[in-house]
Amino acid sequence: MADTTFKLNAAGRIALVTIDDGEDYTRPTTLGRSAFESAVHVLEELERGDWEAAVFTGKPFVFCVGADIDEFGKVEDPREGIRAGHGLFNRIRELPFPTVAAINGAALGGGLELALHCTARTLASNVRHIGFPEVFLSIIPGWGGTQLLPKLVGPDAAAKVIVLNPLRQNTLLKAQEAFELGIVDALLDPVEFLDESLAFARGLSVDRAEPDWSDVETVLRKARSRVDDAVHGATRAPYVALDLIAGAQHWSLGEGYAAEEDAMAELLLSPQAQASAYAFTVVERRSKKPPALPAAKPRRIQKIGIVGAGLMATQIATQFVKRLEVPVVLRDIEQTRVDEALQTIREEVGERRPFLATLVDGGTGWEQFADCDLVLEAVFEQLDVKREVFAAVREVAPQAILMTNTSSLSVEEMGADVGLHFFNPVAVMPLVEIVRTPQTPDDVLATAWDVVKKLKKRGVIVGDSPGFVVNRVLTRVSRALMDAIENGNTTEDTDEAMLGLGMPMAPSVLLMMVGPRVALHVLETMHDAYPDRFPLSPALERIANGEEPTAIGDSPRSVEEIRRAVLEAAADEIRHMLDEGVVDSPADVDACLILGAGYPFFLGGITKHLEQTGIADFGKIPA
Amino acid sequence: MARAAREVFFVDGVRTPFGKAGPQGQYWRTRADDLGVKVVRELLRCNPSVPVERIGDVAFAATAQVGDQGLTLGRDVALLAGLPDSVPGFAVDRMCAGALTAVTAAAGEIAFGAVDVAVAGGVEHMGHHPMGDDVDFNPRFVSERLIDESAAVMGQTAENLHDLFPAITKERADAFAVQSQRRATAAWQNGVMKETVVPLTVFTDDGWKLAERDEFLRPETSLEGLAQLKPAFRAGGRVTAGNSAGLTDGATASFLAAEDAVDELALQPRLRLVGYAYAGVAPHLMGMGPVPATRRVLEQAGIALDDVDLFELNEPFAVQVLTWCDELGVAADDPRLNPYGGAIACGHPLAATGIRLISQLAFGLRARNGRYGLTALCIGMGMGCAILWENTGVGSTEPASAEASASPTPEQ
Repeated sequence: MADTTFKLNAAGRIALVTIDDGEDYTRPTTLGRSAFESAVHVLEELERGDWEAAVFTGKPFVFCVGADIDEFGKVEDPREGIRAGHGLFNRIRELPFPTVAAINGAALGGGLELALHCTARTLASNVRHIGFPEVFLSIIPGWGGTQLLPKLVGPDAAAKVIVLNPLRQNTLLKAQEAFELGIVDALLDPVEFLDESLAFARGLSVDRAEPDWSDVETVLRKARSRVDDAVHGATRAPYVALDLIAGAQHWSLGEGYAAEEDAMAELLLSPQAQASAYAFTVVERRSKKPPALPAAKPRRIQKIGIVGAGLMATQIATQFVKRLEVPVVLRDIEQTRVDEALQTIREEVGERRPFLATLVDGGTGWEQFADCDLVLEAVFEQLDVKREVFAAVREVAPQAILMTNTSSLSVEEMGADVGLHFFNPVAVMPLVEIVRTPQTPDDVLATAWDVVKKLKKRGVIVGDSPGFVVNRVLTRVSRALMDAIENGNTTEDTDEAMLGLGMPMAPSVLLMMVGPRVALHVLETMHDAYPDRFPLSPALERIANGEEPTAIGDSPRSVEEIRRAVLEAAADEIRHMLDEGVVDSPADVDACLILGAGYPFFLGGITKHLEQTGIADFGKIPA
Repeated sequence: MARAAREVFFVDGVRTPFGKAGPQGQYWRTRADDLGVKVVRELLRCNPSVPVERIGDVAFAATAQVGDQGLTLGRDVALLAGLPDSVPGFAVDRMCAGALTAVTAAAGEIAFGAVDVAVAGGVEHMGHHPMGDDVDFNPRFVSERLIDESAAVMGQTAENLHDLFPAITKERADAFAVQSQRRATAAWQNGVMKETVVPLTVFTDDGWKLAERDEFLRPETSLEGLAQLKPAFRAGGRVTAGNSAGLTDGATASFLAAEDAVDELALQPRLRLVGYAYAGVAPHLMGMGPVPATRRVLEQAGIALDDVDLFELNEPFAVQVLTWCDELGVAADDPRLNPYGGAIACGHPLAATGIRLISQLAFGLRARNGRYGLTALCIGMGMGCAILWENTGVGSTEPASAEASASPTPEQ
């Protein structure tokens, strides 16, 4: 990656400073050690020169996305990096003339903190990435962000941007929102953004309302309670960030800097932050271009068939129509069932673009698949049924790629070419497990990957074994929880065991969402394959039958013991998966759990946490 | 019912600073269409009394109509500049006369009553689109001797003029170049550039910069210095980088309006279009083009050369202007000729140049309280264009405010 430099040019008596790494917009500009060195030179020139104002901006389409996450793992003394940022940014703040950050593109983390140290900010109205992702990574904005933002916009908006948005799948602000929150002073058209920002700097006058601190106690109490709901105390960063925001009311900036430094000294080397940096690499880099992806050219998909018209089939068909914009035909045994699905799909896809509604059709015959390039089944989870389906499709459409949405059956045995395992609700869940069999041709696998990408989903390539990754790990975890219940623990105990790890949802709630009958069915499938590790569960059977689970034994464990048992079970199962070659690397398991089950970044999916706690050692985890 | 043509007025014109083509130039990393967008938006900003939805057409010229100059530039630039969807646009090519052709084409639409207000402009990013790049010359030109081979290289056509007119020596060409640089240097002080050039920020390898000057301006140019330069197109030739215009990036745009629109919108037009002419000459003597074009337009209008108060001629090559001077009987150092210097000192972004000539002519006529002015340029493949204008403010009791400071520096 190219080094970021600060480049100074004179626009009349205005100093125009560009933060540029010499790459195009696909490589967002980060701030590393060399960037700081170059910034110091520019600052010396700014301090020496006779300037009317200075304008800081980025290369086209990017302002600056802050610290380089790759340097996280290399930090030896967090205080040094924090002090360097404070020192540099404070020099910008103390320049004897007005400074303007002209935010022309993504401004994240340290980039946004740099902007906050300027006298004022302009923002191009097309920018979609403004925010502080630090708390999402179990650290805090430590270069003045926790201080200057609340001092500028008050504790409510600051808590939203610094703490709550990062915990909502790292939600970032769009330009209009950032303007409305008061983070920037002027929202400008992108077309002549920098020219107008220069004009803004020339006539700079800032008229801002004082932030409202009157409700600070209530605001922070509410924020803390929302943080509890999200992470249950399992990572410190959001709580620390709220304390720092509270402190900003009375602290001088210097005191605030010192508090940030103390906080980062604790957080940056914490297991949660290290796991987050790992998870970031897994999700943002490795799983976007996995080693298992063949180089073959994907086939062109111009018509898609869906077998089945149930809940999953309807949801998947909807995504196909919306994203691929090709004709999709559904097939089920009863026309009324097909018609219901068609109506649902048409209403959904046609809402904004009516022509999409005309792309979907369906009936009860097989011949409608004759000219399909891809046929995906989402019928009942029974091997015989699926075999019949694929035999019938193969006869009318020998050219089509046959895909299955099975969640646990063998893709190869049912006669499909490749598995495409979606998660419910399909529109929301980012993960699709792409199941490769020993027979899957390279171009079919490449096509599956391509289709998943066009659906704007995240694919992970996994082997054809029962439960694939997500269901296999979750079922093993769930079986360990049922074990506790069968031994006399309550649902509250098991919920607490999982929530205390930082899981986003209590397992009892998750079970009801998935449906206890479905969960039982999956457990039975897993039991058939691995009876020793997946014993049948009387407790789950009772729940599936709508009854209260009753304890068989009377040896309830502590919450800590349950948690330990769950983690050990997960570690054991992942070890088996690696031995079987279901995935190439523990990183793929983590990608699946983060994207498909909402496992938190600060556990690094799960394997990083298992290693950090000494429960497992998977060897060097490649990322 | 008989149809009467409507009068057409030049309301306003603006250009970017001109840049050197190539990786060292200020626009190397700037898109050509974005240069066009900048001048159109500046034009809208300076003329708020023109409602954008009244713009009937956008004629935009480029010689290379590919890449960042492709996609029907007039429409592309209109949309990118934020004009409403209802405003159409088109692309124009007549090489160096692109912008002038955009002006006369739009003027035709206005005179005919098809539109009331039009934008005419041009852009050439010669760094992104070197001359002749991607051009596939028909082999018949050579095999049937339809043209002299030298016609394809503009510098060689300039040498041809020197050959044809031995009285036009390299020394005269260099002297003219020095005059052009001196006058242009003065023009950056006296208001004409402030009125007709809009600065803009551009992204470069060294970060964002403010482009506010023509990169070809060389105030220090001297006869001695020019004498040292080597001929660029022929051993022993006379055409050098010093007495010709460099390869240039830049854009221009202008507002044209019908007489009724001028009244209705209370516009203050600078010039009335009197007449225009295009002429063809031998392609290998393309620099001759403005001579017949000038004669023709004067004849059409019934105006004598002496009645013309100002000439804005393009200066691709000093020899080309000198040819026109000798043929028409205008002295090379006549203060009426290119009072603010020319392309030798500011550059010549082919299809964009025409509107620079008109804008400077409007300024100059106002500054001198002159009546008639002529813009002319030569065109590759052997053509010339001349447009005759009348100053709308002539004889007004209130002289233009810029007048006091606008006279060109007297030649030594």
